[in-house]
Amino acid sequence: MNIRWWPWGLLAAACLAVLLFFVLYPLVVLFGNSVLDESGAYSLAAFIALARDSQFVQAFQNSLLLGVVVTACTVMVGVPFAYMVARYEFPFKNLVAVLPILTIVIPEIIVGQSWLLVLGNNGLVTNWLAGWGIELPSFYGWTGLVLSMTLVYYTYIYLGVLAALRGFDGQLEEAGLSLGTSPFVTRLRVLVPVVAPAVLVNALVVFTLVVGNFALSMLLASRVPLLSVMTYNTFVSEMGGNPALQSAMSVVSIAIVAGVLFVQKRVVERKVYTMTQGRAPAPRRVRSGASLLFTATVGLVLLASLLPLIVVFVGAFTATSGPVMHWGSWSLDSLQRALQAAPEPIVNSLRFASMATVVGVAFAVLASYLIIKKRTLATQALDYVVVLPLTISGTVLGIALVQTFNTGWLVLAGTSTIMVLAYAVRRLPFAMRNASSTLFNIPESIEEASISLGVSPLMTFFKVVLPAMKASLISSAILMWVTTISELSASMVVYTGGLETMPITIFRQVDGGRLGLASAYGAALVSVIVLPIVIAIKVFRINLFSTK
Amino acid sequence: MAAITIDGIVKQFGGLTVLQQLSLHVPDGAFYTLLGPSGCGKTTLLRCIAGFYEPDGGRLLFDRDDVTRTPPHRRDIGMVFQDYALFPDKTAFDNVAYGLRARQVARAEIARRVAEALDKVGLAELAARYPAQMSGGQRQRVALARALVIRPRVLLMDEPLSNLDAKMRLQMRDVILDLVREAGITTVFVTHDQEEALAMSDRIAIMDRGRIAQLGTPEELYGTPANAYVADFIGSANLLPVPTTGAAEPGRVRYQLAGHALEGRRDGPAPGKGQGLLIARPEELALGAAAPPQPNALPGRVLRRQYLGFKTAYRVQLHDGPELRVEQHGGSHASAFQVGDAVQVLIPAHSRVIAADNA
Repeated sequence: MNIRWWPWGLLAAACLAVLLFFVLYPLVVLFGNSVLDESGAYSLAAFIALARDSQFVQAFQNSLLLGVVVTACTVMVGVPFAYMVARYEFPFKNLVAVLPILTIVIPEIIVGQSWLLVLGNNGLVTNWLAGWGIELPSFYGWTGLVLSMTLVYYTYIYLGVLAALRGFDGQLEEAGLSLGTSPFVTRLRVLVPVVAPAVLVNALVVFTLVVGNFALSMLLASRVPLLSVMTYNTFVSEMGGNPALQSAMSVVSIAIVAGVLFVQKRVVERKVYTMTQGRAPAPRRVRSGASLLFTATVGLVLLASLLPLIVVFVGAFTATSGPVMHWGSWSLDSLQRALQAAPEPIVNSLRFASMATVVGVAFAVLASYLIIKKRTLATQALDYVVVLPLTISGTVLGIALVQTFNTGWLVLAGTSTIMVLAYAVRRLPFAMRNASSTLFNIPESIEEASISLGVSPLMTFFKVVLPAMKASLISSAILMWVTTISELSASMVVYTGGLETMPITIFRQVDGGRLGLASAYGAALVSVIVLPIVIAIKVFRINLFSTK
Repeated sequence: MAAITIDGIVKQFGGLTVLQQLSLHVPDGAFYTLLGPSGCGKTTLLRCIAGFYEPDGGRLLFDRDDVTRTPPHRRDIGMVFQDYALFPDKTAFDNVAYGLRARQVARAEIARRVAEALDKVGLAELAARYPAQMSGGQRQRVALARALVIRPRVLLMDEPLSNLDAKMRLQMRDVILDLVREAGITTVFVTHDQEEALAMSDRIAIMDRGRIAQLGTPEELYGTPANAYVADFIGSANLLPVPTTGAAEPGRVRYQLAGHALEGRRDGPAPGKGQGLLIARPEELALGAAAPPQPNALPGRVLRRQYLGFKTAYRVQLHDGPELRVEQHGGSHASAFQVGDAVQVLIPAHSRVIAADNA
């Protein structure tokens, strides 16, 4: 069909303009600020200062090291776990299905907080072991960072490898066997090359997430300088002054992610094989001894993943005096304070997340539709700009938005709009991916059928395309809701007094040692996350977390 | 209902000209088929008629209305797609009602007409089903009902049967023909299946690289193909270049094949000496024992024999000549020849020779 300027050309131009203004332009401002000194002259002073700053160099190295260590740990946990689930049959295996849900549902901040409650300085297990004379290494620092991040991020490896294993054509293995290699060698030669790219791709994702991680780093890295924390602290200390240092740091972290993406495009994607006929071999039942081991492993992983949920709810109902949790004696005080005395963060979170969800999903659907069904030069540009947020951590995005929109004709800093904007922009690539994959499967012929029956192309979009996308829209909205409501890194940067969200408040309470109150907000946060998921699954019967 | 006039339509994609000044007139109420191999432009032409492609040149008329620049949703067409294109989130009833609702027909009237349309395609009981709950044949019936219920001026069908299994395809041919004849609607049907085209059409336009190679009734196309392309596309034919030596009488021609002088039929003006093309369908040739020699018969040897039940197909190597395909219908005597047997191939005097430049 010919694409005229009305309505699609106009809409594409509008989408592109919005993205250029709210995504590309702030990045340009950020890059500009990193190479301009106070007088506005071009200068590399900020970068030189960073290179000479031993603290920064230390933080830079630490972040990379943490990235490598955590990624290695997630691979060591995720790959064997995926293989076990894909290839063997054992009691209670079905429980693993909830793992991806748990990871999405439980905000990082709550994972950090609950592990602090268990293994922190005053933690449940720490104190219990101290009673026996055993001293645990402090959870603040490398131990806590590696443990908590591994638990948060291993699902990326697990799900990626699981999908690869399930898509693997079992006949290849049989072919190997028939050609005379032993089962072990066959597996090594046939299976590994096919699964390795999945591991690599997801390992790179984990690496960038770890380097950009904010919530756990802020909570646990007080003694280990890290890039993300340092960037945030610089942002806070430079408030109002010359933003050169924060900008330069942001540029460094963007460069790290860009480097990783480059490696991914160049090296990894070329090695991804496509399986034409994926019929995975049926899982094998294992003998009783091994099955006990397997079940125990699943139980352990499940417990470790579930622990934050349990702890935060128990913590919310536990009596406290100051920073001390009186485990075993119950009280409604914390909850009452959170819900009645200071419900503002809860209200704020609900407001921002719902607005961001509506704005983000609507934009994602429209933009994906234009990109997939109405290809023009403008929509191709759209396609490129839309992935930009993927290269930016929340902290950096927040900094870019604040720098751009705190002066000039459009002042957004300090308004709730900037919160919504930060959320929507951050999640846009994911919402777009979701919408695009659905649109890809909607044949053009149903639109043409509608048009042939006398309905205009624009109305056809509303009467035929949107209804056909309903299931994907709901799941997309829920994922957007869940991820934005637990967003911390960008929020911390862009919020001002009166705009605190639940994650920010939880962070502040944990930081101030008031773990009881933090748990109360945590319980509230988890509840508003879980509720729509339950509704989606029970009422709309939507499969939110299909691993395909 | 309307006649369709396609007047010198040109359509290009990039630098490629897919329709080359193509003209065609479909009279009111006629069933025309566009037939050709993939890439011949038949679907492009159909989509130009529908309005999904805007032609780069030429005009398109529905009766006297010039609809060349009319957007598709204002053309009042009914269209049936290869993949059915049913709205997945709507029931059969709502699918069929869709076009009527767009035309703001009154509710009661919609209910009546949809029920009637579903009844005509034999799906009255399945009105509440969703597309995913129906078989391919049922879906295509809903799609047909949906296109016809709005009483469009023209009905356009883009390979509507090719996603169905063989049995359902035969059944749907009748369903489509019954409905279209009853409605008396002008229909353009696109297919690459020659049998379908022969069985259903008033006229067939055989397309070749963006042009119409021949337009005619099924009988004309099969009996008197205008050129080698058509002869080869419709049915199968032995196409043999032959030198012609002149005419014996009007409508006749003498030609040489494998060193023998033969006589055949010739349309149009009597030819002189030149190159001709013999078009002989395998079933119009006959096979006989090697002796005694008969007129218009050429000696040869059986290369291959395929027994197909109702017929037997042979490949015969002529002595000092080309290979021929011969099909014998009927009982066991027709398949009496074996590989290696010496035979005579009878080329009947009504086999056609056309001018070679027509190929």
